[in-house]
Parts: sequence; structure tokens; C-alpha cells
Amino acid sequence: MNSRYDENLEALFGRFLDGKQAKEAAEDIGKGEQILRGYPAPVPDDVLLADIKGKIAKALSKKKDNTFKWAVYRVTAVAAAFIILATISIKLFEKSPIASITPLAIWESVDGAAEDAEWAVFTARTEQIENDTLSLKSCENGAQDKEVTELESDLTEMDSDFWKG
Amino acid sequence: MGKKRLVMAKNGDFGQIIVGCKKGRSECFSQLLELYSSRCYGYFYRLTGSPDVSDELLSELFVRLVEKIGSFKDGCFESWLFKIASNIFYDHLRDKHKQKKLIAGQADELGHETEGIKSSNDEQIDNMQIQLGRLDMDTRELIMLRFYSQASFKEIARMRDEPIGTTLSKLHRGLKKLRELME
Repeated sequence: MNSRYDENLEALFGRFLDGKQAKEAAEDIGKGEQILRGYPAPVPDDVLLADIKGKIAKALSKKKDNTFKWAVYRVTAVAAAFIILATISIKLFEKSPIASITPLAIWESVDGAAEDAEWAVFTARTEQIENDTLSLKSCENGAQDKEVTELESDLTEMDSDFWKG
Repeated sequence: MGKKRLVMAKNGDFGQIIVGCKKGRSECFSQLLELYSSRCYGYFYRLTGSPDVSDELLSELFVRLVEKIGSFKDGCFESWLFKIASNIFYDHLRDKHKQKKLIAGQADELGHETEGIKSSNDEQIDNMQIQLGRLDMDTRELIMLRFYSQASFKEIARMRDEPIGTTLSKLHRGLKKLRELME
């Protein structure tokens, strides 16, 4: 019931007044509004309406400008937030404990040839030890002391040189 | 052209006008102006008694409408429009009081007697305007709100944030007094 033409005034007043009073009140309202209708107010002239239309157009243009500015501000703010977040994330990732426990020397070494040579020495010595062990197993008692001494010297050498890198 | 638009609006395409206004179409605002300018102007004129002030307030109302149309949701458009009109009128009243005080203060400093602000004394005022001036501002505003917004008592009570019984009672007393004054 948004329009006054839809409402029943007598019923409305009836909620607060008795039947007769409600009817009188509704009539009073009707008579009062009748008087108001008898004295119509002046209406706006065409010049004023044209002027208002101009002001509306100006206000609309200003509103559009503001909307555009806000859109630009919003996009800028989102981009700035994204950059800040990305920067923080990268910094955090760089300082992560998983990364810091990895031996740096392993990844920094680029001298492949030297490493290959060391690996060849290591393989040769391993083979030598293997041979010594085999010959130790197959040796007679007389030659056993010499073989054990050679094996011990090989192991000592490897322990002192190889693990030092 | 204007009449054609008016007929279209009255035939139930009012919703499309509002949608157009929300999209920022000036022709839709022009249609609203054609539909409501007379009623809103009458409302301001009967409250201020001045065509010049009514011109200003009507302009302000439609500029504010452009700014606020996005906040209009489903409901009674007239109630929403006249609520803004009412706020504009009370803002104007406050400004006027401030101005009066300022002028009175300056006149006191200069040692002159204040004559106050003459409001539309040079303009032709009908009997209705004179008798309306004898009512208190709140009652006058309520009568005009009811008459020009064409809203129901329920809507008016909601606009004024008061119980419907209060609205009914105030308007009844106000209109009865106005009728007595006019007779």
C-alpha cells in the first residue's frame, strides 16, 4: 500500500479511534486536501527545466569522470598489493630453512673435469683395495703380512686425501 | 516528445526509466524531471513561499538524484524522492537560520537593529500561502509531504521515522486547523 489512493482512511483511523471519530477524521482529511487542491501551487517554467537538464548533464559527466578515476585507483591499488605480496613471498622463499641447509659448495662447483679425475682416482683405489682383499684371501701365510700392510696403507691414504676433497 | 515519454512512463515502463537513470542516461533523468518537477516544485514552493528558492531547491534535488540514484532499491520511488526533497528543504532551513544568526550578530556589532531576512515579501502570495505560514513548520511539511508525494500514511510514517498513529494525528490536526484558517 504505497499510494494514498490504495488506503482506507476510515479503517486506518479506526485502529486508534472509535467508529464515529474515525469517520470524522477521515472526512476532515478529505476536506483539507480538497482545499489544498483548490489552491494549486505555481509550476516550474521551461527555462528552469532546461537549466536543470543542463545541470543534470553536467552532474552525469562529473559522475562518469569520478567512476573512471575510482576504477583506475582500484586497479592501481590491486596491482600495488600484488607486487608487494609477490616481493614479500620471494623474500620469504629465499630465506626458507630448506634452502639454507643445502651445501652450497655442491651447487657452486662447476669444475667438472677435476671432479671426474678425482672420481677416477677413487674408483681405481677401490679396485685396488678389492684386488688386495682378494689376493689376501688367496695368499699363503708367508705373503699375508705384506698384503695386509699394503691394504692398510691404501686405506690410510684414502682417509687422509680423498675426504679432504 | 515529452508527452509521449510521459505516457510511456505512466503505462508501466517506469522501471526502465529508473534502470536508464542508473546507467547514467540523461534522457531518462529528463523523463523523471518531466514526471516529478511540478509536484516537487509545488512542495518546495508551499514550504518556502519563494519561487527563487524553489527554483534552487528543485535544481539541487535533481542534481542530488543523479548522485544518489544508485542507492535506490525496489520500493516506492515517490517516497524515496520526497525523502531527499525533505532533507534538502531542512538543509536549506538550517542554512537560513545560520545566515540569520550571522546577520543578526554583525548588526549587533555595528549597533544597528536587525530587520531580519525578508523572505519573498515582494512576491505575490496567495491566501493559502499566508495561512500555511501560520502552521508550525513540522505540520506544514507533513501536510505538503502527504499532498505532493501522494504516498500512503504508512510510507510517510516510515519516511519520518515515527509511528503511524503520530503521523495520522499530526496531519489530522494540521489539516483541520488549515481548513479553519481558510474559512
